[in-house]
Amino acid sequence: MIKKIGKFIIGFRFAIILFIVIAIYSIIGTVIPQGATKDFYLHNYEGFGNIILLLQFNRVYSSIIYRTILFLFLVNITGCTIKLLPSQIARMKDDYFQAPSKNAENIWDEKYDTEEFRNILQKKGFKIYNTEKGYKAAKNRIGVLGPSVTHLGIIIILLGSFIGNVFAYEGFVNLLPGESTTFAEQGFILKLDDFYLGFRDDGSTEQYYSELRIIEEGKEVEKKKIWVNNPLKYKGINFYQSSYGWISDLSIKDKEGNLLEKTRLRNNEYFFYQPNHLTVYLYGFYPNFAIDHSGQPVSMNEQKNHPHYAVVLYEFNNYVDSFITSPGEPIYYEDLEISFEDSTLYTGITYRRDFGYYFVLIGCLFMFLGLFLSFYFYPRFIIVDEETILPATKQNLWGYTMQLKNLLSSTIKQ
Amino acid sequence: MDIIYFEELFFTLAFIIYIIASVGFFVFLVSSKEKVGKFAVLASTIGFVIHTLAMILRIIESGRLPFSNQFEFANSFTWAIVLCYLVIHYIYKFTAVGGFVMPLAFLMMGYASMLPKTIKPLMPALQSRWLTIHVGTAIISYGSFAVAAGLSLMYVINEKKKDGGKKSGHLPDVEVCDYLSYRVIAFGYLMLTLVIVTGAIWAKKAWARYWGWDPKETWSLITWIIYSTYLHLRFNRGWKGKTAAWFSIIGFLCVIFTFIGVNVLLPGLHSYR
Ligand code: HEM
Repeated sequence: MIKKIGKFIIGFRFAIILFIVIAIYSIIGTVIPQGATKDFYLHNYEGFGNIILLLQFNRVYSSIIYRTILFLFLVNITGCTIKLLPSQIARMKDDYFQAPSKNAENIWDEKYDTEEFRNILQKKGFKIYNTEKGYKAAKNRIGVLGPSVTHLGIIIILLGSFIGNVFAYEGFVNLLPGESTTFAEQGFILKLDDFYLGFRDDGSTEQYYSELRIIEEGKEVEKKKIWVNNPLKYKGINFYQSSYGWISDLSIKDKEGNLLEKTRLRNNEYFFYQPNHLTVYLYGFYPNFAIDHSGQPVSMNEQKNHPHYAVVLYEFNNYVDSFITSPGEPIYYEDLEISFEDSTLYTGITYRRDFGYYFVLIGCLFMFLGLFLSFYFYPRFIIVDEETILPATKQNLWGYTMQLKNLLSSTIKQ
Repeated sequence: MDIIYFEELFFTLAFIIYIIASVGFFVFLVSSKEKVGKFAVLASTIGFVIHTLAMILRIIESGRLPFSNQFEFANSFTWAIVLCYLVIHYIYKFTAVGGFVMPLAFLMMGYASMLPKTIKPLMPALQSRWLTIHVGTAIISYGSFAVAAGLSLMYVINEKKKDGGKKSGHLPDVEVCDYLSYRVIAFGYLMLTLVIVTGAIWAKKAWARYWGWDPKETWSLITWIIYSTYLHLRFNRGWKGKTAAWFSIIGFLCVIFTFIGVNVLLPGLHSYR
């Protein structure tokens, strides 16, 4: 019984089942929104909400179920490859010769010169073996390993990414020019010297640039300007340009112009001013302000040609009013003057260290090599006897037969 | 007269010629007049040359390969479908294949023609030399799958006719359709593998991770799994004929979904529109 199950687990049928299950599970993950709150599923999917949560369809790719399936897949593909390897190695040796299949076509004709054909085959890299009444030939025996090499590649990819993910180290940091962040464990400091956008003639953004500096024990050890598609690498950690935003100065003054409060807000951030129970919400900063066709404020581009702020006020959590103001232009509310100005850009840097990537790359290389062997270096055999020329191959018998016919046609006797 | 004018003119011309070719192939299939078939192939070839000219003009105008918005992908995809078809045709001389592939080409081009054609500069994430390899392999891979699906469709229809008793002379042998679609899928699969691998390498550079279950990534994996299943069943179970043909058609539907459906229905990092 256990033997039977073991056989099934590393068998071909199970592989196909796993393929289909993985595909279906992956599809579910693209159809159902991932990573939302429990309530979201319970509300939007009614009766199915519980099922979705139970089967972890709310986070398919990190679910235990998905990982189990992938693990089973790993076991299956490894077992299957190990099981097949001895017979494949045996087939690479000279004493193995593939028998022609039943539907192989005898391409012999008396007009062909089989001796000439032997020379051509030899020139084409076939190894010739003499037989009683004729000869046989074989080529690309190494190709029999194609599927195993492909599988090995996939095993390396899966293992590499599993293990890599366990040890992966990643994070995200927002920095203003001049600010820095410390990587205590690695013993260095990342400092942002400057952040700016590159513009095209039409005003659209061409690129985002962060000028970074790495400081270790008080000394600068690395300096690089990074942009999208061009990260900085230090001590195995990659730093990527991944986002940006605007941060704006909020001032709250009294009637006489005395500063009561000063703080910085990003877009979509609140400030709660206790004395008046006032919440100031910066809906957005628009460097080049316009109103779109649906009446929403938008920025035509990121150049500060026509800067405006959209601000909403709440008192005791009740909506009071909303405003569009320009920099420094005050909003009067009760005895307060509220204004925004001096918006600056901050950068968003993602950092990540993941050695799994290198395994994945190596795995991909094997996978590609294996596929190439399987499709274009498959083993080819041929038997030439009295009044018979029989091609034999496991794959692509039709294409191979056609190639041989072409070769044969150049041996037609005069 | 500027370059754009000629580009659009050639695009429209190629579109019209592809329609004519498709009609020609259809007439050929029902009437089996050799001459009509020859004409349809000629039309496809001329259409392809004009289409190529339109693409070259666009490359000159924009100073980069036409790989940066949905119109350009669909246009390049059409181009690759016709390219793969013509390569197969000139190697194997199966005129009838055109009857199943050219309609796909002109449908795809019709889809392209409905999209905004403006030339925009590349957004920051796309400014990479990986764009060329990644999308270049994608269109070749998809073009092959389209041709394979055409061959499979032909197989299915051919098979039906054979059951009806009379064998039609102008459709190539069922065996040949079957084998050829398998070989074309093998090639397309190799290319799709490259698309995913180059995508992963690029994603590592642009988005900090090599794989993140973005809908396009996931759907390309699903497509890859479907064709993997096909190839396994074919290798190990000697799966041929009708089942294999249907599988290849389903695989192509999956390709189309990855190409259009994901961009329209499942937006993610990949949906540049
Ligand atoms: C693991 C990573 C990736 C995978 C598996 C992947 C997969 C694919 C696939 C299968 C296509 C085929 C074309 C289509 O169906 O539309 C495609 C197209 C494309 N990919 Fe990727 N890709 C990856 C990463 C990236 C990255 C990092 C970028 C750029 C920042 C990128 C940009 C594009 C573009 C511009 C297209 C053509 C656009 C389109 O058709 O929507 N891909 N990708």
